[in-house]
Amino acid sequence: MQGTIQEKMTLNEKLHILSDAAKYDAACTSSGVDRRGDGTGMGNCSAAGICHSFSADGRCISLLKILFTNECIYDCKYCVNRSSNDVVRTSFTPEEVCTLTMEFYRRNYIEGLFLSSGILRSPDYTMELIYAALYRLRKVCNFQGYIHVKAIPGADPRLIQMTGYLADRMSVNVELPTAESLRLLAPHKSRKNILAPMRLVQNQINENKQEIRLYRNAPRFVPAGQSTQMIIGATPETDYQILHTAESLYKKFDLKRVFYSAFVPVNRDCALPVLKDNKPPLLREHRLYQADWLLRFYHFEADELLDENNPNFNVLLDPKCCWALNHLDLFPIEVNSADYMLLLRVPGIGCKSAGRIVKARKMGNLQFEDLKKMGVVLKRALYFITCGGKMMYPVRIEEDYIMRCLLNTKERLPEGADGMTYRQLSLFDDVNFGGVNGISNRFIYVQIRLQVFVQLCMMLGWKTGTAMQESA
Amino acid sequence: MKGKLQQQLFCQYKTVDENEGKAARLQRMIKKYLGNHAYRAVFYALLSDEPEKGTAVFRTIQEARRIPDSRKIMDHLGNPDVAEVFAMSRSVANEAHLYEEFIRFRELADGILFSEITPKSQVLVCIADHFADRFPLENWVIYDKTHKMFLLHRKQAEWALVTGTPLNRRTADRISESEKTYSELWKEFFESISISERENPVYQRTHLPLRYRNDMTEFSDQT
Ligand code: SF4
Repeated sequence: MQGTIQEKMTLNEKLHILSDAAKYDAACTSSGVDRRGDGTGMGNCSAAGICHSFSADGRCISLLKILFTNECIYDCKYCVNRSSNDVVRTSFTPEEVCTLTMEFYRRNYIEGLFLSSGILRSPDYTMELIYAALYRLRKVCNFQGYIHVKAIPGADPRLIQMTGYLADRMSVNVELPTAESLRLLAPHKSRKNILAPMRLVQNQINENKQEIRLYRNAPRFVPAGQSTQMIIGATPETDYQILHTAESLYKKFDLKRVFYSAFVPVNRDCALPVLKDNKPPLLREHRLYQADWLLRFYHFEADELLDENNPNFNVLLDPKCCWALNHLDLFPIEVNSADYMLLLRVPGIGCKSAGRIVKARKMGNLQFEDLKKMGVVLKRALYFITCGGKMMYPVRIEEDYIMRCLLNTKERLPEGADGMTYRQLSLFDDVNFGGVNGISNRFIYVQIRLQVFVQLCMMLGWKTGTAMQESA
Repeated sequence: MKGKLQQQLFCQYKTVDENEGKAARLQRMIKKYLGNHAYRAVFYALLSDEPEKGTAVFRTIQEARRIPDSRKIMDHLGNPDVAEVFAMSRSVANEAHLYEEFIRFRELADGILFSEITPKSQVLVCIADHFADRFPLENWVIYDKTHKMFLLHRKQAEWALVTGTPLNRRTADRISESEKTYSELWKEFFESISISERENPVYQRTHLPLRYRNDMTEFSDQT
């Protein structure tokens, strides 16, 4: 059942529908390419990316994120736009996309355009429309800001290629972590079909690099690289499987980013899981991003962080702390002499601060106060480092003790995860409490047992005197 | 123009007569002996509103002369003054960066793009190149309400800083006919792009502190 197609609709209504339908795509960055304006148009790009606002869900708004159309001939079970949903359908025209992008950009609302789309008529037809919009934006409006565009699986490779010369980043979403899940939830898509355009873009990027080496002014193909996205929690994969998929995508397709999108149920469907309290698995998404960060910038491998026996991330501690607690034999390390790669592995020391340490220690011996100034989070790092052979406080290098201390240093977590009590944590269904990746977990168990006890009391109406009176 | 500005800045801590020659010489000296990296740190630190900025910078330069390789001075964070300069320059750079993100222009009746901001430090000079590169074909103005300074950019011309002229409120509030359309479209987008199941005002506030919002289209009540 296709929804009503509205021909006469104001731009405002269209924008409402087509941004609302695009918001589940997690990719928001405008990063990966540095480009100065050439003085003849509008816009430039900054490699670090620029956020322009933050929406009420705390996510960054960098690009005008819209669908070209929310019509779709496919029926992916997790998607609002699936053909079996009865929703109002509409499409932009290429002109409208350009006007919105240009006028928003002029006012410094956005960094550029993120253009995705449902499949209107056929993949080719849709890709052509997208190409037309981008062509107009680049060649007629002379827009030099950032463009992120979707390559539509199944579209003619030449169309994808032509579009890629107009865009900064391209992405094809793998959608779900395994081919099996994809078959279940997206019957019209296949892993093979999705990986084909990804490979195409990768090859073209490599070829383009050669061209640029030969002719400095050769047109650039997808200079900010490609990314992809997986939905987390709609299918039963473990964190280990998901992280493995991500790692191999990074390795095999030279992806710039893999985005993880906590499953938000927008459709009722027996093939989809029912989430507790309708809450997307945000903590899980958060842990995956942390681990992804460790893969990309801290030289970790997926197998170091998780394994078959401990296939899920710990709810209470971030992956880096878990790793360190599992490798206490390596610590403490001496900040004034340790290898950069080892510094990177210390909880509380980031890429920047590790770099600063290596530079600053050439000028003289570093003390704990110096580390603080360099951005080291001492309340985490202190268990793992020495300065001039001394630890900051006398500390027992012992798992249980350090873990308890680390748990007391409050980690910034996404809403829902933040104010969460141990009781709620113990009810988390996607988490295994076997241990902090193998760490003995007595402390946590005690906490949980206490909470369960309190919970039982509450259920039996023993909470307070007043509660009993009320029920009486 | 840029040279002039630096002169003013350096005169804030050097009690020498305002003299373009001296300032330019000092600027050259710092660049030559401490390198561009340290120069930038000093330059940014001096845009800060910290009352003690001058002393810290002065002592940092003294310290630089003391150490074997003066060009490495900014790595020398063990020294409290260097650390202070580093911290000030980082905080100015951060604020400037946030303004590159959060500045909102409105189109005035004569087609000029106008923005007003309330920064803690004098960020205009830090963000000028960014916007000049981004909007070369537009006439635009950014007004710093804290320091009562204008950053002006005329289409296809260099930018300039202007002080000593009051803001003409009436002109600044006379928006173009289509302005309302686009600011409303933007607000529409801003609302619809958020996922209600993920609502998180704490995150939103961490990344976008309240003090910036007064000057931002999507948080203003006027329609
Ligand atoms: S192809 Fe699938 S995911 Fe994409 S819009 Fe259509 S139904 Fe949604």
